[in-house]
Amino acid sequence: MKKHDIVIIGGGAGGLAAAQGASAPHLDVLLLEKDARLGGILNQCIHTGFGLQHYKEELTGPEYAQRAIRELEGLPITIKTNTTVIAIEKTTDFTITYTNESEGETTIRATACILTTGSFERTRGAIKLPGTRPKGIITAGSAQRYLNIDGYLVGKNIFILGSGDIGLIMARRLTLEGAQVLGVAEILPHASGLTRNIVQCLHDYDIPLYLSHTVTDIRGAGQLRGITISEVDANFQKKPHTEKHFEVDTLMLSVGLIPDITAFNGLSFAKDNRTNGALVNQTFETSLEGLFAAGNALHIHDLVDDVSAESLLAGKHAKAYLENKNQKAASHIDVLVDEHINYCLPQRIQCTQDTDPITFSLRVKAKHEKATLKIMQGDKVLMTRKRQHLAPAEMERITFKNVDRLDDQTPLSLKLEVS
Amino acid sequence: MMYDFIIVGAGITGAMIARTLSKYDVSVLVLEKENDVGNHATLANSAIIHSGHDPKHGTLKARFCVEGNRLYDTLEKELKIPLLRSGGLLLSRNAAEVDTLKAIYENAKLNNVPGMKLLEKQALKAKEPNISKTVIMGLDLPTTKITYPWEVALKAMENAINNGVFFAKNTEVFAMAKTENGFDITTNNGVFKSKQIINAAGAFAGKVAAMVENHVPYEVKPRRGEYLVLDRRVKGFLNHTLYPVPNNKGKGTLIVPQVHGNILIGPTNTPQSSLYATPNDVDALSSIKENADKLMTDIPYHQVIRTFAGVRASIDHEDFYIDYSREVDGFMHVAGIDSPGLTAAPAIAEYVVNSLIKSKTTLDPKPNFNPNEPECTMYHALNTAEKKAAFATNKRYGKIICKCERITEGDLMQHITRTLGADTIKGMKKRARVGSGLCQGGYCEHETIKVLAKASNKDQTEIDYYDKDTPVLLKETKVKL
Ligand SMILES: Cc1cc2nc3c(=O)[nH]c(=O)nc-3n(C[C@H](O)[C@H](O)[C@H](O)COP(=O)(O)OP(=O)(O)OC[C@H]3O[C@@H](n4cnc5c(N)ncnc54)[C@H](O)[C@@H]3O)c2cc1C
Ligand SMILES: Cc1cc2nc3c(=O)[nH]c(=O)nc-3n(C[C@H](O)[C@H](O)[C@H](O)COP(=O)(O)OP(=O)(O)OC[C@H]3O[C@@H](n4cnc5c(N)ncnc54)[C@H](O)[C@@H]3O)c2cc1C
Repeated sequence: MKKHDIVIIGGGAGGLAAAQGASAPHLDVLLLEKDARLGGILNQCIHTGFGLQHYKEELTGPEYAQRAIRELEGLPITIKTNTTVIAIEKTTDFTITYTNESEGETTIRATACILTTGSFERTRGAIKLPGTRPKGIITAGSAQRYLNIDGYLVGKNIFILGSGDIGLIMARRLTLEGAQVLGVAEILPHASGLTRNIVQCLHDYDIPLYLSHTVTDIRGAGQLRGITISEVDANFQKKPHTEKHFEVDTLMLSVGLIPDITAFNGLSFAKDNRTNGALVNQTFETSLEGLFAAGNALHIHDLVDDVSAESLLAGKHAKAYLENKNQKAASHIDVLVDEHINYCLPQRIQCTQDTDPITFSLRVKAKHEKATLKIMQGDKVLMTRKRQHLAPAEMERITFKNVDRLDDQTPLSLKLEVS
Repeated sequence: MMYDFIIVGAGITGAMIARTLSKYDVSVLVLEKENDVGNHATLANSAIIHSGHDPKHGTLKARFCVEGNRLYDTLEKELKIPLLRSGGLLLSRNAAEVDTLKAIYENAKLNNVPGMKLLEKQALKAKEPNISKTVIMGLDLPTTKITYPWEVALKAMENAINNGVFFAKNTEVFAMAKTENGFDITTNNGVFKSKQIINAAGAFAGKVAAMVENHVPYEVKPRRGEYLVLDRRVKGFLNHTLYPVPNNKGKGTLIVPQVHGNILIGPTNTPQSSLYATPNDVDALSSIKENADKLMTDIPYHQVIRTFAGVRASIDHEDFYIDYSREVDGFMHVAGIDSPGLTAAPAIAEYVVNSLIKSKTTLDPKPNFNPNEPECTMYHALNTAEKKAAFATNKRYGKIICKCERITEGDLMQHITRTLGADTIKGMKKRARVGSGLCQGGYCEHETIKVLAKASNKDQTEIDYYDKDTPVLLKETKVKL
């Protein structure tokens, strides 16, 4: 059985940056990607809006992917595309089984492993839509893939459920391709995609956005014929007599992404039920020693730039793990959040001599204008940051520098003071 | 050509009858309006091979359920169908329910259900750790099994075909006329002639019968059953099929392990007028949860991946209606096949052929009848040596199409080229489970379309999702990367 130092699973923006971070002349790094090409979801995002932070330039998804791939040139990294990982187990090190058309099912070993497998889309079943189950109900990412990679349109008259970014971008894309987008319904009282996408993809094309509305009926036997949306109250219960009917052949769902950690059922590591991904410390190591996670496989990101930044760090930490394998962390402290914050990563901090700054990524539960974020230990305020605008759709990142001031007994807490 | 028998409908009932008839030297044609076998009740049900405890003693349902349950052990060997011997537990939560439970126990003894035992709380908890605290007594029904009903119909039909039966899909019977020595059967694919007709049209049996009879002796009263499906990653949460004691509205909400590891919760039991439309309604789904919570604690509802509904072909009689027409010679009803129709199907087929048909027609056994079908094992279920051998002959076993269910391109090819191969996305999903996992096709549907198109030399826009004229891809666009 072949043995590698670090195996990275998934070659999207996350995996590419992780490989870059992990690479070193004395280390054997292997990157495994299921698709024929590297880049992951970026390859189907042919719109611009990528890379402003990471490359200081506005790029399309495929251009961003090309940049990231080019950064690996000359680095001692083995890359296998068309290769799917189907199982991982952990004994003293990791046993990874992958398969491809040239080697068949193959098992290898690795000392450290980084999960950058991206996400999958929430489907109809997961949100329990009522009505019949005809053909014509499709997730936005699938429709995007059919259109941008395979070159096919999935429908002519389209309604979109959910105001996530992918749905918004597809509303514009489908309109430009000659389809009719009749509207977007969002169950929450506010949109869940980025503000710039609401403006550039809906307003600019006169596509109505129905806030506090959801789909309450689906019609059609073999083929979708129509849908009904209704207004909902604060408890998401349908308000009577608010129905609006639309004749459509396609209902596109943009109702969220979920970290894809399905290939890792054979591993037991702690999960965070708010992110649906792994629980990690500031080195992106999960509760299972030597297992790291980053990118959308860890928690869902709005911006690829954040994916790259985070994954690069995860790669570097995996490399450090290999180099200092014998130094074990003495203790951990938990990171707690208050009732205004939906989740925060890392969920725990490993107390070491290391005083590298820690970047917290968090999402709030509701929109706030003017709020103060505080990092505290007990009653002690360690850091304060004012924010003019916070929204669930926009991930907030704050960097905490005074790591040497942390005491290793008291949990760290993040508090949001709202006016 | 004049067939000896035409069977209308290729659900599990029609398929089993076709297979049983294929043991004899007669010509048989099965007509099915859909583009595949078993797309109606046989696709959407609880998948339980019931022990036969609850149908009233003396009915055909009771007799065929117990007999059918036994015959499944033979089908497992011959057709290589999956059979999970989960056993069943009938659960009661108060004194009144205990009385009902004991009455069912007595009925079940009369029906000759084997191996039953009354169990107290402690013993139940040992068998089923997540059982609700409120359950006080249970009846152990060890012969209760689970299968994949749609595959049973598929394999039975394939076996019938391999033994000489003809099968026409996409062929809907519109009209039938009695002729001097048989029937003319008009379909969208022309007129077929047959000496006898067996009506196995499920919920449509009333409509089909009305094509020849003036007074159909039953009326179909369709009833919808809705379900929640939990992902197969919940495996281990449940061991047995759990039944509540039945109420006046039928069997009640069951919790059922499935052969692939998923758990089904349901069904509801709602009258509806349509034979087709099976919408899920929100209230029904919440009532399912409410009922299921009476039997088990901490059901992982966050693992729900799908909802679905099926239509029962219930009639205005309590029992199945299986007999030759009193009005038209040579026309047979196999109607009212609601629960436990799945369990009963092999026994119904024996009864139809050996008791009804043989009472008026001589059947000569076919010497070369082969009851066996080959195993159709998925690549991931092979052992290491078998995998190596399969990969050596076909590199496409190395390529994963469906990540969630670990299905390779080689597996898809096997399901395209079998006797009744897949030609739609849904047809592939039913045969190979492509798209049955967490992503529900998000990752693999586009790959499946490509494999189907290539194998059939079609354009990708010609690949249907489910029914006729339901392509996923509408048209090619200008931009192609
Ligand atoms: C439709 C859409 C539009 C977006 N628009 C923008 C935008 O305008 N601007 C912006 O900055 N950001 C945008 N984003 C966000 C950003 O692009 C993504 O968050 C980022 O690209 C995700 O990178 P990733 O590597 O985590 O995941 P992915 O790109 O999904 O990569 C995961 C990779 O892992 C592979 N994989 C999975 N399982 C296995 C396995 N078992 N074995 C081998 N390989 C496997 C997959 O094939 C895939 O290539 C968008 C995201 C989406 C989905
Ligand atoms: C919700 C639910 C749960 C159930 N659970 C169980 C269970 O756990 N255990 C059990 O034993 N039983 C169960 N049953 C019962 C079982 O599913 C049915 O009894 C069985 O599937 C009936 O099979 P069938 O072949 O008679 O009907 P179907 O499967 O409905 O087949 C009839 C076929 O006839 C075709 N057809 C109709 N009209 C025409 C026409 N004019 N021309 C050509 N073809 C035509 C249809 O297209 C269809 O394919 C359940 C049923 C339901 C609905």
